[in-house]
Amino acid sequence: MFEPVILKNINIPDSFKLSAYINSGGYQALKKALEMTPDALIQMVKDSGLRGRGGAGFSTGLKWSFIPKDATLQKYLCCNADEGEPGTFKDRAIIEYDPHQLVEGMIIASYAIGADTSYIYIRGEFAFGADRLEAAIKEAYQKNYLGKNILGTKFNHDMYVHRGAGAYICGEETALLESIEGRRALPRIKPPFPAHVGLFGKPTVINNVETLACIPHIINKGASWFASIGPAKSPGPKLFGISGSVNKPGLYELPMGTPLREIIYTHAGGMKPGKKLKAVVPGGVSAPMLTEKDLDTPMDFDSLAAKGTMLGSGAVVVIDDSMCIVKAALITHEFFHHESCGKCTPCREGLDWIVKVMRRIEHGQGKEGDIELLQKLCVDIFGRTFCPLGDGAVMALRGAFNNFREEFEYHIKNKRCMVNGNR
Amino acid sequence: MATVKINGKEITVEDGTLILDAAKSAGFEIPTMCYHARLSKLASCRVCLVEIVGQKKLQPSCVTPVMHNMEVLTESPVVKSARSSMIELLLANHPLDCPVCDKGGECELQDVTFKFGPRKSPFGEPKRRFNEEDYILSPVIVQNINRCIQCKRCVRICAEVVGAGVLGSIGRGTGTQETSFVKEYLDCDHCGNCIEVCPVGSLMSRSFRYKSRPWDLSGVDTVCTYCGTGCQLTVQARNGEVVRVISNPDTGINNETLCARGRFGYSFINSHERLVTPMVRVDGKLEPSTWDKALDTIRTGLTNAIKMGEKIGGVASARLTNEELYLFQKLMRVALKSNNLEAGSRWNSDSVKEFIDVMGLKNGGVSIYDALKADTVLIIGTAISDENPVTDYIIRRLSSYRKMNIIIMSSRGLKLDSSAKILLRHKPGAEREIIGAITNIITGKSKGTSGQDNIVAAAEIIKNSNSVSIAVGNDVLRIASQLSYINDLTDSLKGLGKEVKLFPVLDRANQRGAWDMGVHPALLPGYKSTGEEGLGCDGIIQSALKGGVGALYIAGEDVVSDFPDGRAAREALGKVKFLIVQDMFLTETAKMANVLLPSASFVEKDGTFTNQEGRVQRLRRLYAPQGDVKADWEIISAIGETVAPSFGVKSATDIFNEIKEVVPMYRDISFEGLNGNGAILQLSGSSEGSGVVARFIGQNRRDNPSGLSPETVDPEYPFTLITGNHLYHSGRLSMKVDKLREILNEAIVEISEEDALVLGITEGVKVRVKSKSYEAYLTAKINSGTAKGVVFIPENFTDVLVNMFFKMGEGFPRVKVQLP
Repeated sequence: MFEPVILKNINIPDSFKLSAYINSGGYQALKKALEMTPDALIQMVKDSGLRGRGGAGFSTGLKWSFIPKDATLQKYLCCNADEGEPGTFKDRAIIEYDPHQLVEGMIIASYAIGADTSYIYIRGEFAFGADRLEAAIKEAYQKNYLGKNILGTKFNHDMYVHRGAGAYICGEETALLESIEGRRALPRIKPPFPAHVGLFGKPTVINNVETLACIPHIINKGASWFASIGPAKSPGPKLFGISGSVNKPGLYELPMGTPLREIIYTHAGGMKPGKKLKAVVPGGVSAPMLTEKDLDTPMDFDSLAAKGTMLGSGAVVVIDDSMCIVKAALITHEFFHHESCGKCTPCREGLDWIVKVMRRIEHGQGKEGDIELLQKLCVDIFGRTFCPLGDGAVMALRGAFNNFREEFEYHIKNKRCMVNGNR
Repeated sequence: MATVKINGKEITVEDGTLILDAAKSAGFEIPTMCYHARLSKLASCRVCLVEIVGQKKLQPSCVTPVMHNMEVLTESPVVKSARSSMIELLLANHPLDCPVCDKGGECELQDVTFKFGPRKSPFGEPKRRFNEEDYILSPVIVQNINRCIQCKRCVRICAEVVGAGVLGSIGRGTGTQETSFVKEYLDCDHCGNCIEVCPVGSLMSRSFRYKSRPWDLSGVDTVCTYCGTGCQLTVQARNGEVVRVISNPDTGINNETLCARGRFGYSFINSHERLVTPMVRVDGKLEPSTWDKALDTIRTGLTNAIKMGEKIGGVASARLTNEELYLFQKLMRVALKSNNLEAGSRWNSDSVKEFIDVMGLKNGGVSIYDALKADTVLIIGTAISDENPVTDYIIRRLSSYRKMNIIIMSSRGLKLDSSAKILLRHKPGAEREIIGAITNIITGKSKGTSGQDNIVAAAEIIKNSNSVSIAVGNDVLRIASQLSYINDLTDSLKGLGKEVKLFPVLDRANQRGAWDMGVHPALLPGYKSTGEEGLGCDGIIQSALKGGVGALYIAGEDVVSDFPDGRAAREALGKVKFLIVQDMFLTETAKMANVLLPSASFVEKDGTFTNQEGRVQRLRRLYAPQGDVKADWEIISAIGETVAPSFGVKSATDIFNEIKEVVPMYRDISFEGLNGNGAILQLSGSSEGSGVVARFIGQNRRDNPSGLSPETVDPEYPFTLITGNHLYHSGRLSMKVDKLREILNEAIVEISEEDALVLGITEGVKVRVKSKSYEAYLTAKINSGTAKGVVFIPENFTDVLVNMFFKMGEGFPRVKVQLP
């Protein structure tokens, strides 16, 4: 049985308090890190093989190394806690029940990149989590883990919680920066990348909550320990949020690369009584769905990419055979349509068009040629949008088409649902 | 330099050139919607996507710079289909109500659709509609948000160029609307630049609305007649009525921008109040007459004055063309043998002379874009945001992406303050003191006293700059200013090895041209000395008050309303024995004329203006004046012929050719060859030494320079009154424009926040402004940036004659402000 790393404190009483965190060995990593040089720290994170847990899977150490070394430059660290991908609830657990783990990880990361200020951009709805973080930061200041001359060193650091403005797009890193700066959250043109021109025009690293929570453990137990967990190319512990038609939905910490079948049947208790697995969304709703035949795929960045889908945020949504895929796809696209920021043409107009067509299909007003139209719109959107939001929407729809095209055809031809029989 | 291959064609361009521009110079057109050359980059419409060989995704060419050896495809099948798809997507929710849309025929979305778009769309869903009725955003702007394609050009130009920042987005996705938050009139500049940049019919001009199809218009490219910025514009008419003014993105220093006056201030041209026939005073009453009779009367009047050896004077508007002004001074000097002439009636004659001298107007012009290539720009003596709005736009836009320290010295809070590094608020007339202090700190003569923090900081910035440009506005001409302080500053900066450029900021379209043409009591055309100095406007008024003026010829200037002593002007003109006035309207001055002649508007004549930069630009005739109206030069020519038979001229071109012979700076300019960007005056082959050209600095003055000396301050009248043009009005001409009057119809009094608080005045209340001799009842407007103890009343309104507050020789009036 895998011993949890990130979630190890989560069931301790008052786990969110500094005393509990320290009792379990908290802030030892910070002491250690402050004795290292920033370069050695970055190298260590590189060696650990840690890849960003927000979904893109970019090497965290490499990202940190892009920050200019010029000590006179103001730099920032931003923690992306705008957990908004439907099906995802991993960061929330860390924020609410082990906030110090995140705070410690952020201080270490800031030290590594030379940032004297960091922001936690937390999803607006996470009011409770924001309170917990504020309290944790206050405690950290009291113990001089934050503030001036941290633990007697020359390193100074201030940390702020910034509550989100309430849109999915705020989770896109450059939109997040815009939002912190007080503007409408719209993605920025890249290049320049945030590592050079980020928050307030200064070099900035943006990391996911789970990524930053891994940092203290890497420092404490070493890069090679981390690298030894799971597959060599995407190692480490990973949080999987399992929802849908399973007996024990919930948040599970497992080694990266655990097969989907094991996650669903061993850990999540298998399918609900009388339900048959129809499809699985492996990494948040943007990830194209898999079916029964793909269940032995290891859940890591590369294996899922090879299957034409993605690990994303590790949010596994299990769909059973009583669910109509047309309806599922419509629900998904209503979400993307609702959340499209409206900046670029293909995402704004394309998703609107897609949703209008899909609503018709779902309600028995589909027309011949609608599937081809939707596929054409997918081509128009994919790879042509300003940011990946539109791509995600298209990938989800393409996943549905690839596996369940006949359900769409049935809807259009018979003006009723193939699964539920009625309209 | 980077060599790139575009569709197989090799081309070498500067590093950092955008693919869009590189393709253009290689001869390939890439359509764009959100792109705008002079606005921040958005890359959101995705219409300009191109293929870069070796890259998986298509890239927006409007933000992607070329790289050496890059291979770009702009016509490949995938690019063409992506382009067509983007246009199709833009059209999906676009209402396609072209038949009732004002933009039809000049719509960018229409154009790209015809050129690059799909011929047929499978979109068969209900379209998004925000509202059935259009939003009226301002007296001049109306918005149909259903047509918006989210290019955000309006939002960007409003924030980045105009500095008003009143437009923004609400909602998201297809629900995004570019609008203001409040559903009432915008509190903005009403400049309509948002209309100009809107690629579709989303933002529209209310004054042009439903008036005409663009293809039914005939138009000419000409120059704005309001301020000295000298914006290029296109005046368009239908059936002999001017219905629209637009700017042209590709020409002029203003490019796509104009201000409210320039864009919407045209309806005076077709005003029913225009004078259409000459009038002659018979038995004390002005009666309609004929040109022959009017000119006969003039012949008699002028001949009498000459015979009697009486003084003859002339005042011309600085809105006449160079040709007219040249001819005017020739008439005065050659035919009437008088040096008593001036352009405009608002300035102190001594200050004008010094201004011309210190600003080096005789040395030719400098483009504002060159002048702004400086580390520091110091702005003195102008409420630039109100007086010269487009100059303000240019400074704001350039300062947003070029490192430039802006220092503003002003008594009033200005819109441009937000772009400034340092604001030096001062009492009116204190420029000399402040610049003196800055000069002393720069030269090390002083370290600055306590309470001079801003002055010290400004001096520090100037000292640390390699190049300094100083913009001096015509507010310094309103009083006896003794402008040698500007010389002292520039001399000390040059002594420190700094590059110094000076540029004037003038509030009349051809003020500089008027001086170039020698409409001045001491200066001949080309700034040569007259030897014997005549009287300026103030001298003429003084002389007339004593009954010493036999004949006065006023061309286009409303002296009674503008001269900074309203009572004296009226009384003086009443005492002039023979008064000739030519104007478009029956002004207060015109009402006093013995002979009143109807003159043409700027679209009814040919000619040139020289703007504040020294840029000569062409005015082009759109149509002939109606009825008995004649162009000012024709009238001057005819008047000349009454006393000197050989005086007459045939055309503006003939006069220009004579100017070229007389004024060396104009020698190389071709009247016919003047294009959209005009020609900057150059001092070629300076055979005329500076000894011939008049110098005024260091000469004895006739009066004592004073803003207001402290002992004359009466505690009962604690405020200093200043005046100038309002953002929506210029001179008195704009009062004949309904749209501008709809924006602002009555005079206001602007007061600082501090003073308002003390007096309990809130925005919009009526207050009484009182001096010892005059009072006015006005709506209060609070300007948080304005200096304490200063009130401002615009000079444009007929309901409040601000010049009645002024008294000759007394500087700025002292007033008190009371709640009634």
